[in-house]
Amino acid sequence: MPSWVDPVAHYMLHVGLPMTLRIAAYAVVGSISIGIVLGTLMTIRFRPLQGLIRLYIEIWRGLPIIVTIFLVYYALPTAPIIHHRFAAVTGAALGLTLWGSAQVAEATRGAVQSIPREQHEGAAALGFGWVGRHRSVILPQAFRRLLPPLVSLVANIIQNTTIASLIGVTELLATGQRSIERLQLTPPGDSHAFAIYSALLVLFFCISFPLTRLAIFLERRLA
Amino acid sequence: MLLASLDWQFIWDHLPDFWEGLKATLKVAAIGIGGSLAIGIVLGAARAHRIPVISQLATVYVEIIRNTPILVQIFFIAGGLTQIPGHPIRLEPFTIAWLSVTIWGGAYNTENFRAGFEAVPGRYREAGRALGFSRLATFVNVTLPIGARIAMPSSINTYVSVLKNTSLLTAVGFAELTNTAYSLESVSFKATEVYFALGVTYLITVWLLSLVVRLVERRMAIPETR
Repeated sequence: MPSWVDPVAHYMLHVGLPMTLRIAAYAVVGSISIGIVLGTLMTIRFRPLQGLIRLYIEIWRGLPIIVTIFLVYYALPTAPIIHHRFAAVTGAALGLTLWGSAQVAEATRGAVQSIPREQHEGAAALGFGWVGRHRSVILPQAFRRLLPPLVSLVANIIQNTTIASLIGVTELLATGQRSIERLQLTPPGDSHAFAIYSALLVLFFCISFPLTRLAIFLERRLA
Repeated sequence: MLLASLDWQFIWDHLPDFWEGLKATLKVAAIGIGGSLAIGIVLGAARAHRIPVISQLATVYVEIIRNTPILVQIFFIAGGLTQIPGHPIRLEPFTIAWLSVTIWGGAYNTENFRAGFEAVPGRYREAGRALGFSRLATFVNVTLPIGARIAMPSSINTYVSVLKNTSLLTAVGFAELTNTAYSLESVSFKATEVYFALGVTYLITVWLLSLVVRLVERRMAIPETR
């Protein structure tokens, strides 16, 4: 193994990878909790509320994630009234959460609507209110249907954390790029860009492939 | 309240800049969509018909692209290929742009079309063969027209994603819409105005594209499902 590999691998795996997983964890938790609530609320037959949630979904699904992250990180702090500056990590996690929650909301709506009416009626007959009915009866059943898209979402969010490098977060991609720049500046000046970008592709593949396989497996088993 | 406080004159004055950026975005997206359609049909057919070697290579291609971030793919093409020891490959920025979104969209579309072609009932193909059509003619006249329509809803999502993914080309300095906004912001410091206008431009473009392809889809839908 050439001598340049060790420090680069150490930097990428001990600084970059934990940051990637941290942002992904924030975004996954945020997306799932906001998305399930919005998706469930959307099944209530109340037009204004449905319209508002539909707008939320179409906006954050329609915008490229990089634009959402730029909006949150660059535009929000300078907007009058708001004046709040996020740390780059928060900005990236928030941008990914807006996108992810829109995906989860849409999936949840479909999953909740697929539960037969008798389940609602049965739960109501047992004395459950709207919240209790959904929490204890409807959502646990809808969750079976929701699980495969949620696993795919985790894989997608992990891939999309790389966009955080564009606002200066030192996640996996950024640590790779900094290593390339540093190697270029130190003699003999060979950047090893091909090897480092290949390593990044391999690393992300190793994280993402098991997740996408799991999603396909769950989909087949639950179908 | 927020809208009233924006510097609308600034946005108005810079609309031509946004238009220039949008044109570059649309150009790359159009090539990407056309390219991924072609790749999708050819490799999707190879996968669905289990054509030896090509089918396996297509699987590897699809899995690599779908399980790695497109941003890393873009940097790999723009920065990694130029540093291959011994055989550096240097590409024009425009080539990098359309090539990366086409490779990405092609992989997703291969899956869309594979699923579409596999959903065509086998008896249709048998009927085509019984009528004396060659295997290729059966594909072109029977499997393709039906399977492509079954694949349409999912391939539409891929085309919209190809358009959205062109925004990541800003990372390698390609002057598309997002890059135009980014440059404008760095000289004017009007981040709210610039990114608000950028977001609205993308939403209009993405929504229009989905609307147009959905209209086409409705016209081309298989009659009994219409």
